[in-house]
Amino acid sequence: MTTDADILRQITEIVARELAVPAESLAADTDLRAVEGADSVRLLRVVARAEQTWDIELDDSDVFTVSSVEQLAAVVREALQVKAA
Amino acid sequence: MTAPELPWAVLADYRCFGCSPHNSHGLALEFDEHPDGLQTTFDLGRSYESYPGVVHGGLLGVVCDETMGNLIVVRTGLVAFTVSMRMRYLAPVATGRSYTCVARLSAGSAAGAGGSPLVGATAEIVDADGIPVATASATYRNVPFGTARDRITLTNPDADRLHQALSTTPALSTTADGPVPVEETL
Repeated sequence: MTTDADILRQITEIVARELAVPAESLAADTDLRAVEGADSVRLLRVVARAEQTWDIELDDSDVFTVSSVEQLAAVVREALQVKAA
Repeated sequence: MTAPELPWAVLADYRCFGCSPHNSHGLALEFDEHPDGLQTTFDLGRSYESYPGVVHGGLLGVVCDETMGNLIVVRTGLVAFTVSMRMRYLAPVATGRSYTCVARLSAGSAAGAGGSPLVGATAEIVDADGIPVATASATYRNVPFGTARDRITLTNPDADRLHQALSTTPALSTTADGPVPVEETL
């Protein structure tokens, strides 16, 4: 069972890896586009890695509007609920 | 890595746009086993571009579809038709450079699982440094040879050869009684 905390932790790890920043520097409300080194390509890689990790497909309308780690985690949670339904 | 034997190779007039070596307009993809599935390395020239110097995104769909589809065929010994496929483009893919596509079966989507003819797969295209540039997810439907025979154009001798080649594909899902059965639907 993947908990909300697990999802947030794994999203944080993915963001840290793809944006090459320490995970400790990221908080739930960190603005993804404000992270040093973040650009549209790297943020799309974050999305792609999340989709691969949970075998889900995120809606583009969500992908291009989320701005924080927590918001991305929420979109992943929603996709997992749809998948499980 | 070893190259799996694709059953289509036995066809005398085999012109698959993605993987036939006999189609001068095609991509002539060649596949190798990968620890997680199947892979192909490709380098597409300017005949395959959209914007100058950028590989056409539709062709990246072909590469992903070919790699996932052939993975399922060599794992099941059954023809697999694409039901749906979704691409995510992460960065432009340059013409004249080498990229590798790796296809994997989706978790919990083992061929024939639960008697379902549907098989899920994912693919990822990475550049020479291993950086992902595109991903794909798709669903395929395995069909028994008799069903496939009705939907593709084959001479009778070619149909016999292909049936034989598929029957001898060392599919992971093959049981002592032959390939895992799939439902005769649609």
